[in-house]
Amino acid sequence: MSDADNPATDADAHAHHDHHGHEGPGYVTPQAAIEESEPEEVAYVIGLYVGTDVDAPDFLAVVDTDPDSSTYGQIIDRVEMPNRGDELHHFGWNACSSSCHVEGLERQHLIVPGQRSSRIHVVDTADRRDPELVKVIEPEEVFEHDLSAPHTVHCIPDGKILISMLGDANGELPGGFLELNDDFEVEGRWDTPGDIDMNYDYWYQPRHNVMISSEWAAPKTYYPGFDLEDVEAGKYGRQLHIWDWEAGTVEQTIDLGEEGMIPLEVRFLHSPVSTHGFVGAALSSNVFHFYEDGGEWHADKAIDVEPREHDDWDMPVPGLVTDLLVSMDDRYLFFSNWLHGDVRMYDVSDPANPRLADRIWAGGLFGPRNPIEGERDVYGGPQMLQLSLDGERLYWTTSLFSTWDNQFYPEEGEQGSVMLKADVNPRKGTMALDQEFLVDFGDLPDGPARAHEIRWPDGDCTSDVWL
Amino acid sequence: MSHALTFEWADGRTARVDARPDETVVEAAERESVALPFGCLTGACATCTARLLDGHVAYRRPPRGLKPDQREAGYVLACVAEPRSDCRLRVGVDVHRELVDNPWK
Ligand code: FES
Repeated sequence: MSDADNPATDADAHAHHDHHGHEGPGYVTPQAAIEESEPEEVAYVIGLYVGTDVDAPDFLAVVDTDPDSSTYGQIIDRVEMPNRGDELHHFGWNACSSSCHVEGLERQHLIVPGQRSSRIHVVDTADRRDPELVKVIEPEEVFEHDLSAPHTVHCIPDGKILISMLGDANGELPGGFLELNDDFEVEGRWDTPGDIDMNYDYWYQPRHNVMISSEWAAPKTYYPGFDLEDVEAGKYGRQLHIWDWEAGTVEQTIDLGEEGMIPLEVRFLHSPVSTHGFVGAALSSNVFHFYEDGGEWHADKAIDVEPREHDDWDMPVPGLVTDLLVSMDDRYLFFSNWLHGDVRMYDVSDPANPRLADRIWAGGLFGPRNPIEGERDVYGGPQMLQLSLDGERLYWTTSLFSTWDNQFYPEEGEQGSVMLKADVNPRKGTMALDQEFLVDFGDLPDGPARAHEIRWPDGDCTSDVWL
Repeated sequence: MSHALTFEWADGRTARVDARPDETVVEAAERESVALPFGCLTGACATCTARLLDGHVAYRRPPRGLKPDQREAGYVLACVAEPRSDCRLRVGVDVHRELVDNPWK
């Protein structure tokens, strides 16, 4: 057996570049990610000032997640963007485990789009604790391709980057996909304009030559805020699009119906042989299980969150399933009920029949205002989630989208977000809120900020894909 | 011809800037380092919503982020609105907040 076959005997087992026994970024398999990854020491978290009167640009925060550090649970660095008004939202790596065969490529650059501005930033994280903005693609360059409102960033094999775009250059439909090359230059459109109408999140499973994309609405519809009239007028999405990944064409469209209003995050199981995954329908507060059977794709409602009466509300409050993720071992599904205020953990060993394992209440309309005694108030409910690669630590932030926050949780903008964490016991299927960890985005030099998506330097449960 | 813009915030603060011909309200404010909220700068997101108290504006691009009744009520999108006279505008993030209530409450 050569050293390459058995990285554990390699004297350089923990050297920065070659500790996984392969040439490129990431891990050979999801199981390798679980076994070989070190606990996350820093998190990259989006912080924003859009939607407040604070006169400062949005930023990327570096949060210390090392419990042995004296700055545990604190923001230790911030990369300010050059302009105001971006609404930084979702972001992603230039490379993930789908490129682990590509020699010389590293998971080093974060692609950080502005959801409102359509500006795309590139941040170099060579120094993990002190990342640096190295490039900005201005909105005009994006509008040239008749696209706007960048959302999900996935690296695609061989160094390219694909970004789902929710609108055309005017903030109307249709959306599409923008491709960047490995020098972070706009290469052009990936799809054929008009293949889809609405767009939002997407995930690809290359071994099955499939990609699935979901739908929010036209930017001009959701940007200003949530209006029920727009729902009644059919301006919000409820479809999934099944793509031929190689050809970049839509092969099938699934209408999720009334129970699938506003399908947002799409998560395939991590195992590259799997044809199962989940999507959360935010407005209908359901989780759908999608899968392939006999060459056709199907989506069935697998979890139904019941609305709840609230004294201050005229209508029962929907949970609003805004984010979900699958643990790296494909055993657990976590999702957030942003309006109710809980984050749930389901055993999805049988993906068609999820079983509620545990849940935590923090903030929101029904959770405790003070989930950690002696610490500040929490307003918004659990929202963007991120799980450690070993599945033992779940983190979340509380802001959804500045204008929607302002409608449902006005205090979120005034007091700022928090980032919280639960310790997860995957063997028992339980979670416990970490009483030592609260990152206060309300306490920053420029004023209170919102916090959104979270990423790890060594790969994520919400972005790594395997060939 | 340039036009005088007077901004009024909810907290009582005011500011005055001169808008050059063909400048939008946001461009004039930015040039004189007065911070107004904005996002898309293309008339789609309504982050820059202001309330026109006096004067009139013409739109450089269609104000897609506002619904017809909101326009009728005097709301304008400062990023695509070019002043056509001296204007007095209520600005700040709370102007936008007036547009979007919690629809269920
Ligand atoms: S900044 Fe988006 S509409 Fe004015």
